[in-house]
Amino acid sequence: MKACVIVYPGSNCDRDTYHALEYVGMKVDYVGLNDELEPYDLIVLPGGFSYGDYLRPGAVAAREKIAGEILKAVEKGKLILGICNGFQILIEMNLLPGALLQNSSGRFVCKWVHLSVSDAVTPFTMHYTRDEVIRLPVAHGFGRYVKVGDKVRVVFKYLEDVNGSDERIAGIASENGRILGMMPHPERACESILGGTDGLRLFQSIVEFLRRESH
Amino acid sequence: MRYLKILKEKLGRDPTFVELQAFSVMWSEHCGYSHTRGYIDRLPKQGHGGNAGVVDLDGTHGIVFKIESHNHPSAIEPYNGAATGVGGIIRDVLAMGARPTAILDSLHMAEVVDGIIRGIADYGNSIGVPTVGGELRISGFYAHNPLVNVMAAGVANHDKIVPSRATRPGQVIVVFGGGTGRDGIHGASFASEDLTGDKATKLSIQVGDPFAEKMLIEAFLKMVDEGLVEGAQDLGAGGVLSATSELVARGDLGAVVHLERVPLREPDMEPWEILISESQERMAVVTSPDNARRVIEIANDHLLRAAVIAEVTEKPVYRVLHGEDVIMEVPVKLLVEAPEEPIFQYQPGSFPNFRKMEYADVDAHQVFEQYDYMVGTDTVLPPGLGPAVMRVKGGCGYSILTHSRADLAAQDPYWGTFVAFLESVRKTLAVGAEPLAITNCINYGDPDTDPEGLAAMMKALKDACEFSGIAVASGNASLYNTYMGKGIPPTLVIGMIGRVDPERVNKPRPSKVFVVGWPDFVLEREKDLWKVLKKVVHDGGFVISAMNLINSTHREALRRMGLMLKVEQLPSVSPVHQMFIVFTDSLELNVPFREIGSLLRVG
Repeated sequence: MKACVIVYPGSNCDRDTYHALEYVGMKVDYVGLNDELEPYDLIVLPGGFSYGDYLRPGAVAAREKIAGEILKAVEKGKLILGICNGFQILIEMNLLPGALLQNSSGRFVCKWVHLSVSDAVTPFTMHYTRDEVIRLPVAHGFGRYVKVGDKVRVVFKYLEDVNGSDERIAGIASENGRILGMMPHPERACESILGGTDGLRLFQSIVEFLRRESH
Repeated sequence: MRYLKILKEKLGRDPTFVELQAFSVMWSEHCGYSHTRGYIDRLPKQGHGGNAGVVDLDGTHGIVFKIESHNHPSAIEPYNGAATGVGGIIRDVLAMGARPTAILDSLHMAEVVDGIIRGIADYGNSIGVPTVGGELRISGFYAHNPLVNVMAAGVANHDKIVPSRATRPGQVIVVFGGGTGRDGIHGASFASEDLTGDKATKLSIQVGDPFAEKMLIEAFLKMVDEGLVEGAQDLGAGGVLSATSELVARGDLGAVVHLERVPLREPDMEPWEILISESQERMAVVTSPDNARRVIEIANDHLLRAAVIAEVTEKPVYRVLHGEDVIMEVPVKLLVEAPEEPIFQYQPGSFPNFRKMEYADVDAHQVFEQYDYMVGTDTVLPPGLGPAVMRVKGGCGYSILTHSRADLAAQDPYWGTFVAFLESVRKTLAVGAEPLAITNCINYGDPDTDPEGLAAMMKALKDACEFSGIAVASGNASLYNTYMGKGIPPTLVIGMIGRVDPERVNKPRPSKVFVVGWPDFVLEREKDLWKVLKKVVHDGGFVISAMNLINSTHREALRRMGLMLKVEQLPSVSPVHQMFIVFTDSLELNVPFREIGSLLRVG
């Protein structure tokens, strides 16, 4: 069971995500833009400012060579997790529907927020219960989710209005549930010393799902 | 003009045009510390002398830290001025071989200047270094001269600390980063003048590119990791000129600089412009000729430009070439030893009866919330309750704060500064940390028309260091914070680092609330107060030590932790007092204390 964290130029939560994955006992590698994703069961696109958010958050990263590798992984049904800037990249790659625009306040927002878990049967959310309220940090300037079309598999919703997202959507999955994009940062909520542990179960869900699948 | 005369005497001839440009940068207050060096020399020091200070954390890790001002640029162009202030101080810490792990600011302004906050936020957030707190002082004193001081800290293994100098002839200097353009030409001289001067235009302001900075951080740390870096300095004020000359001067060596090799953003730059441009996101690395190729390769891999631009020579001469042409040739020492102004002895008076001159009580979360204070997953105590507490993955931790008391220093520069130091110690003790060392930023008006205030402030800093047994590891000075000749109050900002076990930091939880100590100030009681603080924290109490006991930022920080403060009435205290707030269930102390309310869980 092996995970990788893609390091785009300008990623800045790559090391935090690596730390969280290691913390739940996964083997983890960093991968660069010219690497292959064949060896990995879980591929994480971390938060940050890939290419300095120039052009549009995630837009340049979505057109890198590694995007082809990600598409291959999708075809094979591997688990793909995009956090924050990673979510923006998945949207730019059209792997998830909708758009992520600038927060309605026009400002960056960093704080702990309450979320409800709308879908507890994805490989990422098995360890939560449906409609459970959890606390995770957000830290983004472009997190306003705008729905395009009706078929959106919503996984997390904010309890209060954080950034002007449609239906307070904070995270969504692909139809088959194997791709998850979310603005909040579960990797920042894995140790009580950092103020909360509700993110830990997301990574534990992944571990259990992959363990079951390999049997 | 006096400096021109000195320069003529030392050179034994009239300086050339290029020399005039070069010396006006190197002998500016910003680079040369003419008015402050005499005072700084007298301060107790520890881990001092490099690009930033270093003190030991746990035997293996060192904490590297420094504070710097970007006041003048932020007054003219708030967004870029503040942003590049963050960039510059981050590179100072980086140049020591440390990964930057925390940013704090100290902002003095007449109202919250949105551009300054956004500048700091956009830059810090993008490079992935958490901005974990600081102080926000709102006062009319700073209407024309906002103060933007930024402190950065980083952690490095002691054996990876990089010297800030060249060490032997035959080494080469590689400059890498973004291309060099015309931005920030004479920024250092502009930052050493009254803001009504004709240099106060946007031309002197650098423009930041946080993406390049992020790539520069990763590239440089990789170079350090591969053992390629023998010395380093960031390119800040004075650009190529100051970085290369200071690197060789500290090693008693010389340099031959080839300006035509510097990667340019604007093709038609004059040689002297290349020499003193303050384009951001550039670093100078001292390495061997053999390793230079790998250094350049790593820079290129990180989408940055790089070139060997200088050789280190034995003869202590600074020789600048552009192709075959000799642009400048002067003794290295002459460049880096700016003329020194006389210093003044100051005799402190007795402790004054301070008037209340409160800052506006604004909730600083409107600022903190725009900063990513959690990236790096090391922030143990969030902003808003006092110092930030940071862990170092793998064991140790540190506390970090910025603090100043210009409201007092405006009335008595000596005692105002002294009290700011004592309060910094209290705040550090309040989170269970042991104070290790400080960095300081001297923000002042005009030292030529009013030398006494500067002397008082510097004497207070020295005396407070000696009183507390805490030394200075690094610092920065920003003088001539004046507008139409009128200066700011003497504003010494202290950045204090403490050592703390991050696993044993008390956090607020539902409990009773007490005040402990005295509503007035008696110096002789101060160290007893420190003992009481340590005991209370050791017994599990969560402490807030602040000049107005509790403010709206504290209340909001508690609310965000799901807690509500219920206090009937706060005791009234003098502008300087020796009282602090404790959240705990019971107290047993031999100093005055009383219960004033409770902290409740909401919802």
